[in-house]
Amino acid sequence: MRLNIQMLISHGRVARKMGLGPESRINMLRNILTGLVRHERIETTRGRADEVRFYAEKLIDYAKKGDTDEKAMKMANFWLTEKDLIPKLFKVLAPRFETQPKAYTRMARIPNRENLDKAAMAVLEYKGNPFPPLQTAKRDNELTLINQLLKGYREERAQQAAAKVEA
Amino acid sequence: MACRTVCQLLQRRLASSAASVRLSPAEVRGQRSAVFSREQARQRALYPRTEKIEVTLQIPGLQGTLLVMNKGVSTPHSCARHLTEWYVTSSALALVDGNPWPLHQPLTQSCSLSLLTFKDTDPLLVNQAYWRSCAALLGQVLEDAFKEDFSVELIRVPEVLVTSGAFCCDVVLDPQLDAWNPSEESLRSLTRGAQQLIHRDLPWEPLEVVPPVALEVFSHSRCKQEEVEEKSAQSPKGTVMLYRCGDHVLLSGGPLVARTGLCSQYEVTAIHPLGEGEWGLHRRAQGLSLPFQLQAHHTVWRKLRSRAEKLVEVPTGSANEAVSDTLTPPSAPKQTPPHTAQQ
Repeated sequence: MRLNIQMLISHGRVARKMGLGPESRINMLRNILTGLVRHERIETTRGRADEVRFYAEKLIDYAKKGDTDEKAMKMANFWLTEKDLIPKLFKVLAPRFETQPKAYTRMARIPNRENLDKAAMAVLEYKGNPFPPLQTAKRDNELTLINQLLKGYREERAQQAAAKVEA
Repeated sequence: MACRTVCQLLQRRLASSAASVRLSPAEVRGQRSAVFSREQARQRALYPRTEKIEVTLQIPGLQGTLLVMNKGVSTPHSCARHLTEWYVTSSALALVDGNPWPLHQPLTQSCSLSLLTFKDTDPLLVNQAYWRSCAALLGQVLEDAFKEDFSVELIRVPEVLVTSGAFCCDVVLDPQLDAWNPSEESLRSLTRGAQQLIHRDLPWEPLEVVPPVALEVFSHSRCKQEEVEEKSAQSPKGTVMLYRCGDHVLLSGGPLVARTGLCSQYEVTAIHPLGEGEWGLHRRAQGLSLPFQLQAHHTVWRKLRSRAEKLVEVPTGSANEAVSDTLTPPSAPKQTPPHTAQQ
């Protein structure tokens, strides 16, 4: 190909480079994904966590097809390097996310690593894991004035709807 | 000569009724405020020498802090001023030894103090106090709103739950206004009057008085005097709490919040006629308000406001009964709700 300046400028290129090349990148992601399936909550660098998210959710979509499906079993076999996790994927993780269409993972950013590289870190987890929650959604107390007014408003609307159903 | 005796008789008749001649509302207010100031000065003069009391704070993060304050002079407000500005602006009510205490009432003995805000884990007391204060503000606005020729009598401020959607103030207007119904413009002008009071950020000064002084304050208003007698009969100590805001003196059933500046969104939503009562045509003025720490988005505000325009039914029982919820629970849809406003 023509060697031009545009090759050195990466404006608008979304694909990340990790490791030594594309094959190395897939192997790294495979290892991280195996760790995620085993522990259900892992801590890595931000870029790697973001990359793994896509593959983690796609793996769950394949697992939902069931372990009798040929393609699903091949995918699980390729992506999980530790083979004792394949039954866990099909029997534990797939049934957990049966009702959800997408968004099986959650990523939360954490302070930079303490090493010399000061890498930006993130925690990646499958939802519904048995650990305590990472971040609780901050909601205002139910008893504050505005919430009490809204509660009264909702109750009145429910009453009116019930009265309309009767009539 | 017969003419002279007739004239003298007439004069004497007219002279006896001159004592009960109606003062203009401004003069009545001035007189009430003067009696209030006199009583306030007398109560302050009960502590000529500065004595110290110890106030223990029970605020999260400052548990057990000891403040040395002046007896009969220091208020929870001044205790908050010893902390940071946030405590001064955000505290609405104080709890002294577990009892609700208005923020500007002087402390008389060593006690434990905690300052309550709108965002506490249990803001029920603060919510009720805020609702009462907004209703008191509404009463004050109504008293000021009409021209001098028309009399306005505030009957009472019914204790309404916050979930009912609006605070109310029962009022009787001049008999000449019996046929008057408020238009949207007049409600808006009442709202503007309330917003002006809020902007002036007036404190509600509390004062605990014995019934004779309260009767003197309200000497021109028969229904207020009856209310004073009722309240003094109910209170354990036999005293009555008066509050002054600006130059209006009000009677209240419970503690009010610190100052008018705590309200941010305030609107007078409706004035409903209730029918003939013992003082004339009773009307219920309703409004909706939110404090500055809990401001609502305009879409949410509009929904709450349309609800606040509906008449709020107050359960007619003795004031000692716990105020029950005015809405029937939604779990019993078969029974027709007894408090239907629109139908």
